[in-house]
Amino acid sequence: MASTTTPLIQVKNLHLYFGAFHALKDVSVDFRAGELIGLVGDNGAGKTTLIRVLCGIHTPSSGEVWFDGRKVEKFHPKLAIDEGIETIQQSVGLCDNLSIARNFYLGREPVKRILGIPILDFALMREKSTKVIREFGLRDNVSADDEVERLSGGERQSVKIGRAVEFKNRVVIMDEPTNHLSVREREHVNELAVSLKEQGLLVIYITHDIFQVHKLADRIVIMENGEKIEDASTHTMSAEALEEVIRQGGRKVTKKEPV
Amino acid sequence: MKQFVRSQSFGAVIGVTVMLIAFTVIDFSGWWNRSTLANVVQFSAILGLVAMGQALVIMTKEIDLSVGSVYGLTGVAFITLEPKLGVPGSTLAALAIAAAIGAFQGLVVVRGKLPSMIVTLAGLFAARGVIYVWTGGTVQNFSEAARNNWLTGLLGGQIFGIEAAIFWMVGLCLVLNVLLWGTRYGNRLLATGGSLDSAESRGVRTDHVKILAFMLCSLLAGFAGILTLADRPQTHVTLGDLMELEAIASAVIGGCLLTGGRGSLVGAVLGAFIIVSFRYELIALGAPSSWFTTFVGIVLIVAVIFNQYLARRAGHSV
Repeated sequence: MASTTTPLIQVKNLHLYFGAFHALKDVSVDFRAGELIGLVGDNGAGKTTLIRVLCGIHTPSSGEVWFDGRKVEKFHPKLAIDEGIETIQQSVGLCDNLSIARNFYLGREPVKRILGIPILDFALMREKSTKVIREFGLRDNVSADDEVERLSGGERQSVKIGRAVEFKNRVVIMDEPTNHLSVREREHVNELAVSLKEQGLLVIYITHDIFQVHKLADRIVIMENGEKIEDASTHTMSAEALEEVIRQGGRKVTKKEPV
Repeated sequence: MKQFVRSQSFGAVIGVTVMLIAFTVIDFSGWWNRSTLANVVQFSAILGLVAMGQALVIMTKEIDLSVGSVYGLTGVAFITLEPKLGVPGSTLAALAIAAAIGAFQGLVVVRGKLPSMIVTLAGLFAARGVIYVWTGGTVQNFSEAARNNWLTGLLGGQIFGIEAAIFWMVGLCLVLNVLLWGTRYGNRLLATGGSLDSAESRGVRTDHVKILAFMLCSLLAGFAGILTLADRPQTHVTLGDLMELEAIASAVIGGCLLTGGRGSLVGAVLGAFIIVSFRYELIALGAPSSWFTTFVGIVLIVAVIFNQYLARRAGHSV
């Protein structure tokens, strides 16, 4: 584990309020490049809220976020994307009405000038996205010109992950990436997550399922009621022990005996 | 061929074909001839311009109810400002007014997070009210000099014996098709209508996309108003009344889905052609003119059912 390097993302004493609601309470956590981190917790534990800060959707009420040695001053989704932070969510990220190629480049479409007018470079879009969908195991009869609505849930996730790799992202956040997927598709997506990590990316994997992510992750961070209640290497804590932490969560008895 | 059948305008193409055959078959008086068709095509061009703008807005999953009033206000501004600014000046000033209305409505919709149906309904009333206040109820006519201005001729005259409006419509249809299907803006517009959250997750500024769509829509409606008045420079304060409904009907007949992200500009123009043709044919058949509105309603329902059927067959989730 690359635990000696400086963290790629450092979250320090983060607080976030939505009106009177205290959504994140003094959260501090480090994320390093080349790590796969499982972010686990029940609904409303603050996992997604934390992630939304990292990808620029929410601005923290107090506390700091450092990215690659620099303090983040402004939070905006576009800035996060430009920094190479990609979030892969189950229901969001692909437009059903557009072709795979168009989706692939949405927001950063390549153009070439025809009579001085920037026209989409369809040949490049098709070629690159075809290469990726073959690599990421889509059905052979799916072409880059097909609309995304033709794809299965697993194929959609594959396209999103392929896109994250192709654009040389540094951080890939996967929010419940295997919900509603078949067993084989789930395995495929998990393999992809591990391969991203092996390419040196930071992968943050959000899930309810501690047993599933324990097999993949280097480290598990558990959240409960907006607080971080556990942050342990998967080598020192078993999935069963971590599950027990979640079960006891919020009662603050857990810190005493980290199995 | 497969692409064409799956495209959103396929239904409208069939509709136009069936309609032309039907009108030719039931045409006992020899009325449905070339010169009538030329007239129909000219009015279709005007309505088609408005419908294309409407189609762009519908494809972003919004709607613009103000186009009839914007059409009227821009036309009236074109005539009213002419004595002070000359024809080119008043054309530009009128278009600037249209663009400003579109930008303002778009801004209110995206910044206020308000339904466009309400915002543009307010725009419909407000712009119409401005016409009444500004003109005091009567719109003056163009002077002889203004009628003979080169630009008036270019906007409202004839080119090679064909009404200028048709050239403008065809030209703008080409430009807008390139914009919609071939540019970054078009890709982002379709994405915004298809899935707002997904577009935003890719860094698309959907607010900018929508504001620009509303601006284009108002500009096209305004330009159509200018073309109409350059052709016949006398008008009334009710210019463009109910045109918003015909424009929406055209876009929907042309295959635009109100669920956003899917539509066709060519389809919208064909939809306009269908609506205008029905108006003329009903007059020719001797039906009271008030029946026209009823027929538009029937055509609209039939078209929607047909387009939905085609969309489901193509595997779209609608």
